[in-house]
Amino acid sequence: MSPLRRFLRTPEAIAGAIILVALFAMGLTAPLFFPGDPHAIAGPALLPPFQDWSLPLGTDRLGRDVLAALLHGARTSLAVGLAAAAAALAVGAVIGTLAGFAGGLVDEVLMRITDAFQTVPSFLLALAFVSVVGPSLGVVVTAIALGAWTGPARVARAEVLSIRERDFVAGARVIGMHPLEIALREVLPNALPPLLALSSVIVAAAILTEAALSFLGLGDPNRVTWGGMIAEGRAVLRTAPFLSIIPGVALVLTVLGVYLAGEGVVETAAVRRSLS
Amino acid sequence: MSDFTISRRSVLAGSALLLASTALPTIGWAQTPKKGGRLVVAADSEPRNLNPAIVASNGVFFISSKIVETLAEASFDGKDGLDPRLATSWEGAADGLSVTFKLREGVKWHDGKPFTSADVAFSALQIWKPLQNLGRTVFKDLEAVDTPDELTAVFKFARPTPFQLIRNALPALSSVVPKHIYETGNIEENPANNAPVGTGPFKFAEHKSGEYYRLERNADYWGKDQPYLDEIIYQVLPDRTSAASALEAEEIQLAAFSAVPLADLDRISKVPGLKVITKGYEALTYQLVVEINHRRKELADLKVRQAIAHAIDKDFVVRTVFLGYAATATGPVPKNDPQFYTTDVPTYAFDVAKANALLDEAGYSRGDDGKRFSLKLLPAPYFNETKQFGDYLRQALAAIGIDAQLVNNDSAAHIKAVYTDHAFDLAVGPPVFRGDPAISTTILVQSGIPDGVPFSNQGGYKNDELDALIAKASETLDPAARTELYKEFQKKVAADLPLINVAEWSFISVIRDTVGNVANNPRWAVSNWADTWLEA
Repeated sequence: MSPLRRFLRTPEAIAGAIILVALFAMGLTAPLFFPGDPHAIAGPALLPPFQDWSLPLGTDRLGRDVLAALLHGARTSLAVGLAAAAAALAVGAVIGTLAGFAGGLVDEVLMRITDAFQTVPSFLLALAFVSVVGPSLGVVVTAIALGAWTGPARVARAEVLSIRERDFVAGARVIGMHPLEIALREVLPNALPPLLALSSVIVAAAILTEAALSFLGLGDPNRVTWGGMIAEGRAVLRTAPFLSIIPGVALVLTVLGVYLAGEGVVETAAVRRSLS
Repeated sequence: MSDFTISRRSVLAGSALLLASTALPTIGWAQTPKKGGRLVVAADSEPRNLNPAIVASNGVFFISSKIVETLAEASFDGKDGLDPRLATSWEGAADGLSVTFKLREGVKWHDGKPFTSADVAFSALQIWKPLQNLGRTVFKDLEAVDTPDELTAVFKFARPTPFQLIRNALPALSSVVPKHIYETGNIEENPANNAPVGTGPFKFAEHKSGEYYRLERNADYWGKDQPYLDEIIYQVLPDRTSAASALEAEEIQLAAFSAVPLADLDRISKVPGLKVITKGYEALTYQLVVEINHRRKELADLKVRQAIAHAIDKDFVVRTVFLGYAATATGPVPKNDPQFYTTDVPTYAFDVAKANALLDEAGYSRGDDGKRFSLKLLPAPYFNETKQFGDYLRQALAAIGIDAQLVNNDSAAHIKAVYTDHAFDLAVGPPVFRGDPAISTTILVQSGIPDGVPFSNQGGYKNDELDALIAKASETLDPAARTELYKEFQKKVAADLPLINVAEWSFISVIRDTVGNVANNPRWAVSNWADTWLEA
């Protein structure tokens, strides 16, 4: 059985995959359906959903189209989630591999740095970083990655510790490869699978952190973000609750989708491993 | 008195009582004030310094104006719009070099010491002139305060100072603090700045950080039978959405300064027992202003500034951002000012085509992406409305091909970015008009102000003609001539657009209908509340 078919056997994986595909579709088609600025004022203010079919999800306090904002917000959420997870995984993998492969003092120093980062709650770290540097998309990604690389680093190190004793590593040493080359070209790729299993958790956490930062007014103000939409809707929560509920539901579905799909991948991988 | 806490039980008991009271048939309108009771009020911030003589701002006045009194208070029907407080009369000399105040007799400080002209002289010379944010400008030529007897204070000015200005400044700038408490040590570090001692109807009792302020009745107050209330509690509710629910749950009786979001007012006005009141803020007009950094070459061009003015739909802003609780602005003096406002100024109708034409004329044609140039836009974070207007302005500018990038900061970072570092192209600010353009309005236009002075012209604007006009008005003694000069000032500002005035707004109170004598002066929320009473 191919891994893909095995993946599609698990119902939660299918659910997750559907949500994610829908989400990517939303994000990718946003500029087609809603070209131009999603912040543009499109109609009367505070129009409730399902009243006017040119504005199916209604408008916010300034008369901006909620559906357009929702779709463009999906882009931001996904972009931030994926970019932050990729950055965290890359940094974590490299640091973990170096620490595990080099051992000794290098290992000590790198792992104590990891410890130091791990003791600070990652959200506080992100909050402090963004409020000092100033909110923009790149800064938000960096801030989230800053608190998320420690997990991958520890997993990578543990994996590398077992891989480095394998025969092919000894072989590589014998043919005179540079240790750094062995670490990054031979060991690291073999340490990746467990890291990838971690990625869905990191993506989900990154999306939530981004939403929380935007909610607190620390997102990029020039982009639509779901967190920012929820925060803006909060002022009119009693009179127009849909303004907070719609992006809130989108956020819940996204995180759920990422998580379920991630679970599916992990399970597929586990089955494959036990088969081999 | 430190055993005071707001327990669930006392709140419940209090609210049960209130609930019972609403069931009673309301007696006609001619009610005599009742004595006693505790008024619980929402407070959205906890000022670091509660001394109104040093920090003349509404956040401080809201609490400390009940404790520390001024020489006079604003009034709807009093002569020159004033009502006497610590001073009973005031008179300016014809040469503009002196103003004589007669002070109230038999007034005592909260610690029992008598109030005399020495306290007024001390406050004016040691605090208002050198330390107060607003007094620095208004009292800059104050040279001495003579005290011929205990109840007379004569202000002596080095240069002629318009009496009209001094009069208009009295309600906000003349908080009198006790000399005997402040004369030793550093005034700015005096412990009384956090636990003020005054002559007002209420004494400062305690402050629990993050929870509440408590003021208690001053039994020795000079006003006959006043104050009526036993206590005022300022419940700290920093979250704007919680004030409405607290009112509905009868945990608080008053939310002033628009603590209830505008979007909620329609709903809350239908709640039985709650009233939405727009009166009582007439002398506290905020202005929604686009501050411009004239160091940017594009913005130094009058045509570009005119284009921006034409691109803003002021009616839309009033209707959508302020939900109608505001007025469109024509210039630097608000429409509701009875003394200085003039309609005779150039106006900028909402006209996107004209704005585009002006930008083309100025030589900033659209690039391939439809954009002419990019700007940094910093909306002030103090009000929901300033932030929302920032969002609107970005869209309005996009329509004329100006790409505005929003930069959000917290209050401290915003003040530093705009008024010290000048790291902005456009900013959205809410300056306050305080009854006279010379108090806090001309400073928005005048050149030569050092870096770092907040709410002043930090946009690098310099117009010799306007500077001369401001200087001339500041020493013109005749009120009619002075008013004419400020009309001229409005005209010139509207023509040259050192900044763009968009709207004027004030605040809204939501209050239980059991509270009596509400909104009975133009600065009610920041007045002394000696005559406020509770029907219980």
